[in-house]
Amino acid sequence: MTDSIPVALFWALGAVALIGALTTVLAREVMRMALGLGAFLLALAGLFAYFGFGFLALAELFVYVGGVLILILFAIMLVHRSGEGRTELVLRDVYVPGAAALLLGVVLFRMLEPARSLVGTITAAGGPGELSRVLLGPLLAQFEVAGALLLVALVAVVVMSGGDGE
Amino acid sequence: MTLIVLCCAIFAIGLFGVLARKDTVAILASIEVMLGGPLLLLVGLGSAARSGATAAAGAVRVEGIALLVIVVIAAEAAVGLALLVAVARKTKSTALDELTEVKG
Repeated sequence: MTDSIPVALFWALGAVALIGALTTVLAREVMRMALGLGAFLLALAGLFAYFGFGFLALAELFVYVGGVLILILFAIMLVHRSGEGRTELVLRDVYVPGAAALLLGVVLFRMLEPARSLVGTITAAGGPGELSRVLLGPLLAQFEVAGALLLVALVAVVVMSGGDGE
Repeated sequence: MTLIVLCCAIFAIGLFGVLARKDTVAILASIEVMLGGPLLLLVGLGSAARSGATAAAGAVRVEGIALLVIVVIAAEAAVGLALLVAVARKTKSTALDELTEVKG
């Protein structure tokens, strides 16, 4: 009984993630696509928390759901103006992309199958204290590079969205 | 096993969106879905590493790496959407088939 509740939680979050991903990919309306992406990202954050990474789940919520999703909604509002009528998102083709995605998915699964014995055990989380010690210790170089990358991205976004001065 | 299937399915669904969609906003959203699969697998494997006696530090390192991956994905999304808005402002369209010129 105690084991069945976390397993059911995993299945429920996995199902929401899959439905959200499918809605993102197949939806014909832009807002429905954004809602699907939101459900997918929320389920992903839930799965992170399920695996014991509470801080990472919180970061996912703040950065992805609170940042990237809002950014996508802003882009939709800027690009798909309501005055031009409802924009329909159409699919180029279903069969060739579907076959390619299925093939790559199966190849990836076959490649990752040996790791299946590693997955399945969950213990308590490390917490933000330990995480900060790792980020400012062994991962300091990567942390600094990520900070520099964010700064470059910020400048690039300002330059690109600033227009040509007309 | 289930986790690996879930991650591969999420990646494949995102790839399908990237290949099948015409609209650049939808393609960017599909890329976000694609990146979610490997990130989830990284976290799942990191969680498994926690159960080992000497692996706790490694698990926290996995959490740090995943956090940095999220930062890189956020930067990618910001630059991609800024590019998209700039292109849409110039061409009045977000359909990928109409973006045939690389001249600025």
